[in-house]
Amino acid sequence: MSRPKEMTRAVIVGHKSILKQTIDSLHDTNLFHIEDFVEDESGFKISKPLKNAEEVSKKLVKIRSIANYLGIVNKEPVVQKTDSVLRDLDSKLDELDKAIASKTEAIAQLDNELKDLDSQKRELMPYLAINLDFDDYRGYESLKVFAGTVKGNLDGSQISSITKAYELYFDPQSKAVVLFVAKSDADKVYELLQGLGFRELRVPERGGVPSELLRFIEQKEAEVTRKIESLRNEIESLKAKYADFILASDEILSIESQKAELPLRIATSANAFIIEGWTPTEDYDKVVSAVNSATNGKAYVTSLEIDEEEEEHVPVEYNNSKIAAPMQQIMDLYSRPKYTELDPSSVILITFPLMYGLILGDIGYALILGAIALAVKKAVKSDAVKPLMDILIYCQISTFIFGIIYGEFLGFSLASLHTAHGVVPGLIPGWETIVLFEGLGGEEFTFPIHRTHMVMTMIAATVTIGLLQLNLGFLLGFANISRHHGMKHAVLEKGSWLVIELGALVAAIGYLNGNSGLTYVGAGILVLGIAMLTMGEGIKGPIELPSLMGNALSYARIIAVGLSSIYIASTVNDIAFKMIWADHSKISFVAIAAILVFILGHALNTVLSIIAPGLHALRLQYVEFFGKFYEGGGRKYNPFGYIRKYTEE
Amino acid sequence: MVGELASGPFLDADGMKALGAALAITVTGLASAWAEKEIGTAAIGAMAENEGLFGKGLILTVIPETIVIFGLVVALLINSA
Repeated sequence: MSRPKEMTRAVIVGHKSILKQTIDSLHDTNLFHIEDFVEDESGFKISKPLKNAEEVSKKLVKIRSIANYLGIVNKEPVVQKTDSVLRDLDSKLDELDKAIASKTEAIAQLDNELKDLDSQKRELMPYLAINLDFDDYRGYESLKVFAGTVKGNLDGSQISSITKAYELYFDPQSKAVVLFVAKSDADKVYELLQGLGFRELRVPERGGVPSELLRFIEQKEAEVTRKIESLRNEIESLKAKYADFILASDEILSIESQKAELPLRIATSANAFIIEGWTPTEDYDKVVSAVNSATNGKAYVTSLEIDEEEEEHVPVEYNNSKIAAPMQQIMDLYSRPKYTELDPSSVILITFPLMYGLILGDIGYALILGAIALAVKKAVKSDAVKPLMDILIYCQISTFIFGIIYGEFLGFSLASLHTAHGVVPGLIPGWETIVLFEGLGGEEFTFPIHRTHMVMTMIAATVTIGLLQLNLGFLLGFANISRHHGMKHAVLEKGSWLVIELGALVAAIGYLNGNSGLTYVGAGILVLGIAMLTMGEGIKGPIELPSLMGNALSYARIIAVGLSSIYIASTVNDIAFKMIWADHSKISFVAIAAILVFILGHALNTVLSIIAPGLHALRLQYVEFFGKFYEGGGRKYNPFGYIRKYTEE
Repeated sequence: MVGELASGPFLDADGMKALGAALAITVTGLASAWAEKEIGTAAIGAMAENEGLFGKGLILTVIPETIVIFGLVVALLINSA
């Protein structure tokens, strides 16, 4: 159980001449969460960005647009010296910008050319079958040329009814028609053609035979495409050559721009500045000495008292061991704890995998998922994925332990089971199920626990586990409240729930044993608890009473979701094995199909084994457990600084 | 075969129990689904505005799941009674 890191409120005051040095030193320590200054009547104003701000952001925009165009993604960092990158920055940036601009322009031009060629080609296509030189279409005094397409078929007999002097070219496939007639007959022929749905086509202006022109255009197209390809390759090689430079300069410029824009967030007067913010108490001395050494002690640094109202708004930094740290992801997904609250990361480090394991509880799936998680953790370097894989590994450890307790392997029972219909052998010969004691509803509580044969007992057991976790939640809430509002409030608001539970328990024991005295005592305690709760929480307390039962029963999902997983697995096993034993004569084909069913079925169930138990275990933490004590809503501690990946000083 | 069925009662006690259990699961399942549909739609809408709401959206979406868990408990109780 931990609290967020203790914070100190610090103020740095100095003359504007040392502002730059102060900013640099704060940025380097990466330990100071700066509180944005809001202008008020105090007379202080926010300042203007540093002189280089405009230039830096211009370059940053340029480099980012280039990175975006080249499609540069974060990769294995090659660390470079800041000075050497800065020295070449301007020249290299210019060079890169020019190279890319000329290449993109050339590509755009070639693209236009390609489009032009394509439209020429399309113009040509209808004339391809007729294959008449385009010069033959023009330059007649007494001849009229019709070129176009018709809807139906056209043959000489239709035209010869008008005139004998004609020359007809018709392609029945494309319905393209070229018809030469005397100008005197043109009107009549036009009427006829219109009756056939004639649409005139433009005759390309250039001369030449269509088939030859087409060959020429296609050659040219290939040539242009090749050119574009080679330009693209050149850009690719630019990307390979400059990737490290771009990543490094992006980082340097981001740092510079952060520093340059800081004056917009702090209070300044004509000659002085004030920077207010938070630093972890353990690092306060580091911040002080860094600022002092950078400014030769000219800046005044001091810590301020935190009053109670402010405590709610203190930025929160987790304070967990390395083992519990991955659980912070689960906390952040819900809401970061407030500064005044207990941080339950280390509690859910135990309870979350516990619930997950209780639900899944299978040695086979634990091994598969554990191996997958380890492999992903090794293969993916991302900082966002690693903690998730750590959580998955924690869950699989718990699943493995419960797999032994349940005696399950991929839905098979490892131990033998004695039922009314005889002994069902398990996967491991010689592992006999031992009856420990009588369970509920005529069931026997055994080791290993056969969940499918003791459903009622397991419902009771899981609800009991739920009650334990809920009470842990009340205790944590008790600690939270007693720290900030005193013992009385804690007893009335959270302790009252424990009294109510105790009353109900005593009354139940009395009732079951037929001891009416004990029942009345229990009822008395119960009424006392409800009265305390009403005093603590008002009328809304008793209204929430039934939710306790709902919350506890909600833990029955542990066995419910677990059973569904078992039934899917054992159904897959049943189908696969029945197929294998079905027909010995055609063993080869059926056996392969059976193996496929087995693999695919368990692959499906493996995926479900992350989602279903994960979501339900998560929900039990968020809704049932956190509901009893947790508020959340803390601000993230976000120190002024930068975690360098591609550069170093 | 048909005669055998026809001669017995249409539903004996065991059949009624099985039907009751089935109803408990079916109706609560539908109820959960309906409630989750409404909440899930709203949650996705909220997430489109602000991705940070994923955690809260998830919690709100799965709250009605308790209904079907109760249904399951009731069904198991009926079956084992």
